[in-house]
Amino acid sequence: MNNPMQSKEEKVLESSIEKLIQRVQDMKNSLGSFIMKLETEYTSMTWPTVLDNFALLSGQLNTLGRLLKGDGMPTLRNHILLPLALNPDRDPEIEKLTEGRVVAFNHDVVPDYLRTKPEPEVEERSQQLITKAVTVMADNAQKQLTVLNKITSNILDIINSHKDDWESECNKNSQQQQTSSMNETTSLLQATLFGKGLKQPRRQEPVTTQQPPTSMQNQTQKIQGGAGKVQSTVKTNIKSGSTMHPYQRP
Amino acid sequence: MALNFMDVFYRAYLGEPPNDALSKSMANSVVTQAIQGGIAPYQEYLLQGSIVDTSRDVLLHRLQGLCDNAEGMPQKFQDHEMVFMMRGNTPQQIISFRVRHSLHQRQNWVLRYTGQTEIGDKNRQTLVRTCCDVATSDNVVQFLNEMGFRLDNEFIAKGFFFHKGRMRVTVSKIYKILQHDNLDNLEQLTMSHLVELSVVAPVGQEQIGEDMKAFAEQLKPLVQLDKIDHRRLQTF
Repeated sequence: MNNPMQSKEEKVLESSIEKLIQRVQDMKNSLGSFIMKLETEYTSMTWPTVLDNFALLSGQLNTLGRLLKGDGMPTLRNHILLPLALNPDRDPEIEKLTEGRVVAFNHDVVPDYLRTKPEPEVEERSQQLITKAVTVMADNAQKQLTVLNKITSNILDIINSHKDDWESECNKNSQQQQTSSMNETTSLLQATLFGKGLKQPRRQEPVTTQQPPTSMQNQTQKIQGGAGKVQSTVKTNIKSGSTMHPYQRP
Repeated sequence: MALNFMDVFYRAYLGEPPNDALSKSMANSVVTQAIQGGIAPYQEYLLQGSIVDTSRDVLLHRLQGLCDNAEGMPQKFQDHEMVFMMRGNTPQQIISFRVRHSLHQRQNWVLRYTGQTEIGDKNRQTLVRTCCDVATSDNVVQFLNEMGFRLDNEFIAKGFFFHKGRMRVTVSKIYKILQHDNLDNLEQLTMSHLVELSVVAPVGQEQIGEDMKAFAEQLKPLVQLDKIDHRRLQTF
C-alpha cells in the first residue's frame, strides 16, 4: 500500500523539478544571450532593446515564482539533500551537468552550494538586531510603531492626493483637446453657404421687390392716361404711387 | 487657331499635359470643353472644419510650421462677402454669385461662381465642385443688380491665410453685419473659426485629394477637416 503512494509522490516531485529545471534553463539562456549582446553589440545597442531584455528576464522570473507557489508544486522544504560523501577528485559527470562550473564535489564548494542558513557573519548581525529589538521596552516599541504608521499613512495620503491631482489634470487636458465642435462647423457652413442667420438685419428686400410693380403700375396708368380714359382715378393713383416710392425727391 | 490658343493656354497655365493616352484624352476633353464654354473648367477640392477661438493660436502655430509661408506673421485678411441670387421660374432654379472684396485692399473684387457640391463615394477624399473666379472692378455689385440679381446675404470674414504648394488654408471668423451700410458694426456668428482647405485645379486631378487628406491628418486632433455634405446642411 505504502509503496505505490510513495512512488506517486516521487513522480510528482520529479516532474515538478523537471519543470523547474526547464524554467531555470530558459532564464539562463536569455541571461546568457543578453550578456553576449552587451559584450558584443554594446556600440549599436539601443536602450529600448536593453529594456526588452529586462522585461523578458522579469517575465521569466515571474513565471518561475508562480511555478514555485503553484498548487502542483510539492512543498520542497520538506525534502532534504544529504551529502553522503565528498570527493576531492575531478568528477566528469558533475562537470558535464554544471557545464564546467563545478569540477568536483569537494569540501571547497559544498559549504557554498548546499548552504541552508545565512553566512555566519550575517547570522551574527541578525542576532544582534534581534537582541536589540528584544531590549526595547514594549511601550516604547508601541509608541514608535504608531509614529511610524502615522508617518507612513501621511506619506500615502500625500502620494494619493498627488495622484488625484495628476489624474484630474490629465482629464482636464484631454477635455481641452476638444478644440473643434461639429455643431459650430455646421452653423458656420450653413451661414456661409446658405446665409443662415445672416439675412435678418436687412429690411430693404420687401421695399425693393415692391418697387418695380408700382413703377410698372405708374407707367401703365400713365399710358392709360395718355389714351384719355378715366383721368380722375389716374391722378389719385399717381399720387399714392409717388408717396409709396421709397426714394422721395426733396 | 482657337485650338492652338487653348493648347498654348493649357501648357502655360496648367503645365505640360501628361503623356499617357487617358490623360491626353482627358486633356483634350478639357480643352474642347474650355473652347465650347468659353472658360477653362476648374474644380475646387474642398475640406472643411472649425476650431474654437481659444485654440485658434495653437492651430495657427501648427499651420505656420506646416505651410510654405512659414517666416514672419501669418498673412491676415478681412473680406466682405455678398451673395447675390436670381430666382428662376421654379424655386429650384436659383443662380447665385458671390462677390468678395478685401477690406484691406479695397480695389480687390472677386466674383465667384460655384457649382453643385459633389460628395462622391468613399474613394474620393474631398468635396468637389466646379468653380469660376473672376477678378472684377468695384462696380460689379451695380452690374449684378442691373442684371436682376438681388443681394441675399452678406458677411464679413476675418482671418488668416496659408498656402502649401497649391493647397490653400484659411482660418477665418465669420461676422454678421448688423447694419447694412456699416461694415464696422459687426456681431460674431459663433465662438469658432471656420477652417477650409482647398485647391483649385483643372478637371480630373483626383490625386490632389490624397495630398489634402494627408495634410488634414496632420492637423488632427486640433481640427477635424472633413468633406461635409452640403445638401444635408441645407435642411434647416
